Amino acid sequence: MLDVDGLRKTYSGRGREVEAVRDLTFRLGEGELACLVGPSGCGKTTLLKCVSGLMRPTAGTVALDGRPVTGPPPDMAVVFQEYGRSLFPWLTVRGNVELPLKEKRLPKARRRELVDGALEAVGLAHAGARHPWELSGGMQQRVAIARAIAYEPRVLLMDEPFAAVDAQTRADLEDLIRGLWKRFSMTVLFVTHDIDEAVYLGQRVIVLSASPTVVQDDVRVDLPDERDQLTTRSAPRFAELRAQVYREIQTAKNGGGPSGADGAGTGGAEADGAADPDDPEADKGTGGADGPERTPTTTGGPR
Amino acid sequence: MSAEADATATARKGAASALRVLGLPAVLIALWWWAAASSGSFFLTDPGTIAATFAEVWISERFLTDVLPSVGLLLTGYALAAVLGIGVGVPLGMSTRLRAAAEPVLEFLRAVPPPVLVPLLMLLVGLDTSMRAAVVVSGCVWPVLLNTVEGVRAVDPVLADTCRVYGIRGRRRLGVLVLRSASPQIAAGLRQALSIAIILMVISEMFASSSGLGYAVVQFQRSFAIPEMWSGIVLLGLLGVALSAVFARAERHALAWHRGLRAASRGE
Repeated sequence: MLDVDGLRKTYSGRGREVEAVRDLTFRLGEGELACLVGPSGCGKTTLLKCVSGLMRPTAGTVALDGRPVTGPPPDMAVVFQEYGRSLFPWLTVRGNVELPLKEKRLPKARRRELVDGALEAVGLAHAGARHPWELSGGMQQRVAIARAIAYEPRVLLMDEPFAAVDAQTRADLEDLIRGLWKRFSMTVLFVTHDIDEAVYLGQRVIVLSASPTVVQDDVRVDLPDERDQLTTRSAPRFAELRAQVYREIQTAKNGGGPSGADGAGTGGAEADGAADPDDPEADKGTGGADGPERTPTTTGGPR
Repeated sequence: MSAEADATATARKGAASALRVLGLPAVLIALWWWAAASSGSFFLTDPGTIAATFAEVWISERFLTDVLPSVGLLLTGYALAAVLGIGVGVPLGMSTRLRAAAEPVLEFLRAVPPPVLVPLLMLLVGLDTSMRAAVVVSGCVWPVLLNTVEGVRAVDPVLADTCRVYGIRGRRRLGVLVLRSASPQIAAGLRQALSIAIILMVISEMFASSSGLGYAVVQFQRSFAIPEMWSGIVLLGLLGVALSAVFARAERHALAWHRGLRAASRGE
């Protein structure tokens, strides 16, 4: 239902051209929950902005149900990383959740029903009359999630939504997202830099390379559908998948090409999770785990 | 017993805060009194005489002929300046191109001191109220305009993206995003404009009027009615204090979210 095809984005300024995203192609099926994970500075946010129609790609297309995305589509909602800046501080929690519904010209009774439902679903039924700045960071992000759900989107995009909340809140919010995804049967594209989070949440993990970004690998997460912070995270299969994604990212950081270039997009991941014998950089890569963040590569022109 | 003690404590607290508020004015008035009595100058009237004259002069038909028209002029000019400043400031803040085209002209116009427009406007508009209102507007509009431009420019890009994602545009975007996020700055501009408005009201009346507070003060001075002149000055001071108190109250109400947000981000 969501097709990203040959997406490319370059920024130009002061005579230089920075290629943030080189060539991205992937496809999300109806009702799928996919996580996008990649090294820092790999253009995840750029990608998400292009997918949501907030930014025009330099080349390539994004299509939702076959219709090209040229601006934010009406059935798509986005949850931003900066919860504190994506909520209107002059509106109450209710006001924030209700605002998009007013723009949709829904009748008052329906709006009330949707707002109540969404606030209840994120566990904030009691906080409707408060202002966002009276709430903790995790609660503010719940408000942003409630606003997205009340909008009744078919596609929900999330841009590192839990990067700025503490670990415990984060675990709660992850379970919340899994729950909401099942309950409201949306297609969810979840961008994160956290490998554990990606494997825990997704049915599928799309691994991005370092900038200029291409799809490094596409890993099918064959964990049971009912996930639990304790048992899922301690399952051997979780560790394997985690290790696989980790290795891919290390490879990506060190400039290795896509390991399964032919297999990308098919979701076919090797079950044994062993190092790719074709990739000599895979083992060396572990040393760079805390390496400096990659900045977008500067290119003098098309390479 | 304890209720009585509480009442005494409250009374003591009330007395203490009254002392804090009124202490310095009392000292200053006493000093003035002493200075007026010891100097013997004809032009330095003692506070008692000023107070008596104040009641005599202003609680009379002068209230209708001088005070009300002045306040009306002030508020009209101020309101026009606010509407004009915000109305022009919003499009300028939103469009880089408009801003680039208008900036040099605005900088020049802002640099012209408004009192110098009085003779010009006397010729152009005539000697009526609309001319005096024009003087007030010409001075008040700048802080409102420039602050509105800055406030609108500083709209948070994440909030702007949020509006785009949820299809919020047109008038609702203007009301819920642009004006609201610029409102703290707009309020700062309006506060500056208020004191400018009082100054220009008085100046325009001193130059070109046959009624109003500025005119009255000048008339009293020219006819050597010194206590009356002093009472006019006191009245203008009181008017300024009252207006800024009203303004502060309105701002407190409208920008409660802003104070809360700032307090919350300081606490973190």
